[in-house]
Amino acid sequence: MDRIFEFLFKYRPLVFEQGDFSFAAPGSVRLWLVAVGVVGAVAVASYTVARGKSSVADRGIMSGLRVALFALLVFCLMQPVLILSTVVPQQNFVGVLIDDSQSMLLPDEDGTPRTAFLEEAFDPEQGELLAALSDRFSLRFFRFSDVASRIDGLGELTFNGTHTDLGAALDAAREELSGVPLSALILITDGAHNSDRPLTEALVPLQAAGVPVFTVGLGEEIIAPDIEIGRVEMPRAVLEGSALIVDVVVTQTGLGPGTVPIIVEDDFRILAEETVELGPDGEPVVARISLELEGAGPRRVHFRIPIQAGERVERNNSRTVQIEVRGEREKILYLEGEPRHEVAFMRRAVADDDNIQLVVLQRTAVGKFLRLEISDSTELQFGFPASREELFRYRSLIIGSVEASFFSHDQLQMIADFVSDRGGGLLMLGGRSAFAEGGWAGTPVEEVMPVVMGEPAGGDDGFFAEIKVSPTPAGLAHAAVQLGLTGDAVSARWDSLPPVTIVNPISEVRPGATALLTGSSPDLRDDQIVLAFQRYGRGKSIAMTVQDSWLWQMIPPLEDQSHETFWKQALRWLIDGVPAAVEVVTDQEQVEPGETVRLIATVGDSTYIEVNDAVVTARITSPSGLVEEVRVEWTVQRDGEYVVEFRPTELGEYEVDITAERDGKTLGSDRTYMHVAPSDEEYFGANRHTQTLRRIADETGGRFYTPENVETLPDDITITGAGVTLVEQMPLWDMPFLFFLMLTLMGAEWGFRRLRGLV
Amino acid sequence: MAQQVPQVQRPTFSNALGPRRDPSEASGRWPFYWTRAIYSGYGRRGWGGGGWATDYPKGDRQFLAVLKHLVRLDAYDWENAISLADPELRRFPVLYMVEPGRMDMTEAEVVGLRGYLDAGGFLIVDDFWGQRQWAVFEYNMRRVYPDKAIVDVALDHPIYSSYYDIEEVKQVPAINNALRGYTSECWGCEAWIRGMYDDKGRLMVIINFNTDLGDAWEWAEDPRYPLEYSTYAYEMGANMIVYAMSH
Repeated sequence: MDRIFEFLFKYRPLVFEQGDFSFAAPGSVRLWLVAVGVVGAVAVASYTVARGKSSVADRGIMSGLRVALFALLVFCLMQPVLILSTVVPQQNFVGVLIDDSQSMLLPDEDGTPRTAFLEEAFDPEQGELLAALSDRFSLRFFRFSDVASRIDGLGELTFNGTHTDLGAALDAAREELSGVPLSALILITDGAHNSDRPLTEALVPLQAAGVPVFTVGLGEEIIAPDIEIGRVEMPRAVLEGSALIVDVVVTQTGLGPGTVPIIVEDDFRILAEETVELGPDGEPVVARISLELEGAGPRRVHFRIPIQAGERVERNNSRTVQIEVRGEREKILYLEGEPRHEVAFMRRAVADDDNIQLVVLQRTAVGKFLRLEISDSTELQFGFPASREELFRYRSLIIGSVEASFFSHDQLQMIADFVSDRGGGLLMLGGRSAFAEGGWAGTPVEEVMPVVMGEPAGGDDGFFAEIKVSPTPAGLAHAAVQLGLTGDAVSARWDSLPPVTIVNPISEVRPGATALLTGSSPDLRDDQIVLAFQRYGRGKSIAMTVQDSWLWQMIPPLEDQSHETFWKQALRWLIDGVPAAVEVVTDQEQVEPGETVRLIATVGDSTYIEVNDAVVTARITSPSGLVEEVRVEWTVQRDGEYVVEFRPTELGEYEVDITAERDGKTLGSDRTYMHVAPSDEEYFGANRHTQTLRRIADETGGRFYTPENVETLPDDITITGAGVTLVEQMPLWDMPFLFFLMLTLMGAEWGFRRLRGLV
Repeated sequence: MAQQVPQVQRPTFSNALGPRRDPSEASGRWPFYWTRAIYSGYGRRGWGGGGWATDYPKGDRQFLAVLKHLVRLDAYDWENAISLADPELRRFPVLYMVEPGRMDMTEAEVVGLRGYLDAGGFLIVDDFWGQRQWAVFEYNMRRVYPDKAIVDVALDHPIYSSYYDIEEVKQVPAINNALRGYTSECWGCEAWIRGMYDDKGRLMVIINFNTDLGDAWEWAEDPRYPLEYSTYAYEMGANMIVYAMSH
């Protein structure tokens, strides 16, 4: 198309896009318009006077064609031109950035690797692109993968980079060439940008400097047949023995409909296997896999799909995810307003769970409490905590059938802060003194809860209904509701459980909250919200509105473990992700030797108020046992956040212990792990990312090319590039299009005369 | 001048108790039902001892009325007796069994009681005396659990401190014996508190042997009944219930 355009209009469309239209002939445009008017008037007059056999319409058409021809001639006589600035040959620089990552060695369908283009286009002897560029510009070559560096020639390329960071490459080239007149950057890559850093950060400085980036996309846009595990979504830490629901995103191209197994294993055994139904070409599908991890410590979980027949890329069929299995015993405070069977049965359900310490504070009379599972005799000795420090020691809080008036206003606010500021989990259970019936509406805690509390129901006798509980679609995908089962078995198990009772009718969740279980009954107009949750501030709140879940233990057959499983998972969910006062994470799950990793620590005091003047030390133990101690500094940008960078050099598991102190007193400590290993990231999403490359070109004023149309690149840089430029006028009067148009107008008049017998 | 004392009518159970449970409605309207086990046996109902219905229903109502003043408990005010063979038994996790010294459970009752205890139910046994009655009770419990031991529940067990701090086990007499000034019904025998534990070490049956808590509950309002024993009986009753509902 561009070639036809160039044939008709003399120049390529890019010239017209870049140039400003003008007339080079002397005299003003107004003068020329008068000339056109006069000539046109003469032409019209000549047709009007010489009538012959022609009608008025005939004379109108003919005079119109003649006027158009005269106008075209005048247009040419006015010498139309395009004015544009072009770079001065050999006075400007162009940076050529070449992708040096592993994906460049992937073969196309015909078996040639992506590097073949480089060998051909940049061959020192016969490379046409190299020659054309060298004629016009001084070239500077860069190689890049995760980092970019200057090279003298293509012989220095190794194609073993395991990450591609396009932004870092552009930054490095821009900075290196900042002191010279830079016309453009040429980015030759498949466009697979697998860094977390947004590209925009690198494009904005280029836009500001007016340096266009011309991108050359290599490889096929669709690699088929192929199947890929695109993403695995799994938490980075989990309490030992917790049920996990892991989302695995699978995409196929060219394999067609069908199913494939996903095998999940750790270093020792198969943990789970799930069959996933593949989606249409290029459309990702999500497989939900539930699994349970035993044994505290860092674990590597491998997700694998067996190689399918004819697959083009095999290394994207598996992914490995690092997870830390935490073995701590987490404390949950359960406050119950009166002796209730729920206490006994919940305790029974989690009794053999070494990771949960369910501390019970049960009011047995006015001012009298039964304390269970306390750590020492002073714990909760005065009843419910009266200070933030005392309450915030717990990871989560369960409130049973306790009326809101039991608490002081400060305590109610403290409970709300426990969720929003401390990041704790709050669970409210159904009961005579819970929710609206317990006077909780209008308290600071009401806003925290995920359900809408209406007016107290049922009058003096109270409300009472028996309901049958079933999971919602969201519940079926939630670990807390799975009851240790998968797929259709989950719904079937819930169906088999006996009805339970409610005394708090609740049928609405708050905006943003999610219902996981609902209950139905002939006595209810709307379904009862049985289990719902929402994020609130740093924490989460859960409402469990039934009052006798213990019936799920007492009534079903003895081998049915639904009650135990439900509460075990629900309480683990309640404490899952609840932060400690001092925590450390790494910014990447897995790094390569020599790659920079950031340790990010958050430090708070016992009331979870951020601390900025702590002395934070990281003790890093390498796989071979070498210990390095580094000081972690406050970032200043964010309260309580401390960061340090370091580069691991050994392959294997690094252990990072962090300690925070203030005024000689320890605020807290935490541990995390980091796996150092070569990455397979280059084999994921290894097709040509045309959209990314187009975006880079469009946002910087460059153009996108493929090997098929790259020969115009040198000319295009000449027209659109920055650097040392001169203004050039490009005449348009001799465009073949104008000649054809003249011929057409003359031919049309002659043809019309013939048609009408006026010749 | 003598002050006139106003005539105050003592409330009766019939007007002091709350509403009756609607038999067509599922249990659960009240969080706690004081539930009495109905079992098969040799004994006669009523006065003279023997049988599941001893002190029934006055003892149950009176126990609940006092208990609700002592413990913050949202309990059903009325008696609630149910057969060990009834599947609905499992809706009531705390169960009271009285005078098992003449029991002779049917196979269905044995199966029902075993399932109840295995599921998490808690059984309180009371008011049987002497070795002969013990042998009958033990025989029946052996039918439920052939291999589980019946052991003493020592005073350091949490059940003695779950609500009141109980420092000694007292022999609580039936009212007739109390009026005569002695406590034992088996001539010199001592009160024991024994128990049965499940496989995970949880107490699931507490056995009040050679003692009669039920009579103390039933006759606590009688000024002739010794306060020492009725106090102890209510303390023990409150402890057993609070313990059962939290352990």
